[in-house]
Amino acid sequence: MQIAGAPEPSPCSAAGIMASETRLRRGVVPSRLDDQTLQPGRYLLSSEAFLLRSKSGIGLMYRKGEGITIEQPECADEREVALWLNGMLYSAIAAINGLLPFHASAVAHNGHVYGFSGASGAGKSTLAAALSRYGMQLFCDDTLVLDLSGDGTITCLPGHKRLKLWPEGLRLAGAREREQVAAHYPKIFADPVAGTVAKPLPLAAMIFLEVGPAPQILSVPAGERIARLQDEHYTCKIFEQVGNLTRVQRFKQLAQIAARMPMHRFSRPFAAEQFEESLAVIAKYICSESSS
Amino acid sequence: MTALIRDPANFVETQVEDEIVVMALGTGNFFALSGTARETWELIDGTRDRDALVADLATRYSLSPEIIGPDVDAFISELRVLGFLRID
Repeated sequence: MQIAGAPEPSPCSAAGIMASETRLRRGVVPSRLDDQTLQPGRYLLSSEAFLLRSKSGIGLMYRKGEGITIEQPECADEREVALWLNGMLYSAIAAINGLLPFHASAVAHNGHVYGFSGASGAGKSTLAAALSRYGMQLFCDDTLVLDLSGDGTITCLPGHKRLKLWPEGLRLAGAREREQVAAHYPKIFADPVAGTVAKPLPLAAMIFLEVGPAPQILSVPAGERIARLQDEHYTCKIFEQVGNLTRVQRFKQLAQIAARMPMHRFSRPFAAEQFEESLAVIAKYICSESSS
Repeated sequence: MTALIRDPANFVETQVEDEIVVMALGTGNFFALSGTARETWELIDGTRDRDALVADLATRYSLSPEIIGPDVDAFISELRVLGFLRID
């Protein structure tokens, strides 16, 4: 899943590790991981491996250092295969290799990444895609992979997924429409007008999207920062499961991440007719932050 | 003296900027303490009973113990319910 046109990453870098660990081959995927049997439509995860069998029969196996094995029925929908490869499997590989998959879409501006997080349907993808009209390239859609290995600034890996928007989001973002994601999934693949980024960049801020009466950027109270790192999305659950930490260890881990991750809240009306006004506010904020 | 003391068997805490975040080990729930709540929490160190705690806070905030007392009692009560506090 090497990003087309991207410079070859150093093999020891996080990007290099992900490029190596996501190499793909066809083969037989087992039905057991360690002492557990896999049920169709479910997955199994350990600190070293991930195993999945979709209800349609697609089998995916990842083991650290060995890449991905895919067992694909002849009738398999290639689009479904791509969704699994780029979704849960990619996040699992990131987590197993010590990276943090975060439920966020992001843009790049002046060499830094601004992530947008929030519940599914909060408008992360639409906002990130729309900021393209302000010259901000799309950095990733839906999952932002973070490299926490440095002591200071968190490094973000460029996105591995294609931009997906609902029809209304496509209209609001002004992105270029491509094909439907899958027969059973009516989101649309789209290209952001300012293009995408293919190299790792430092994280400037994670911005949590909220609904409010008027567009404004708000602070995240210090005590809330740890709680903001936990949600019900599969990326969080996978990271937690791979780490296999005690509750105390997990708390300390989250505290360390919270201390390093600048956070803000973007409260704005959700109505489509107020989207442009909100977009202008967040664009102005990012421009002022990146120039300071 | 019946000293107030935090019970570390039931929580873990960390500081995030000017707040203290406490996580209940049993439930995983988080509590953020700032301002007077944080100060009160830090004063519960096993060397003070309820009256001494109230007296110290009253001095800090130039208020009478009678005014401070009910809020402190409510805070102590909440901490006991959560299992974060015991009285020795």
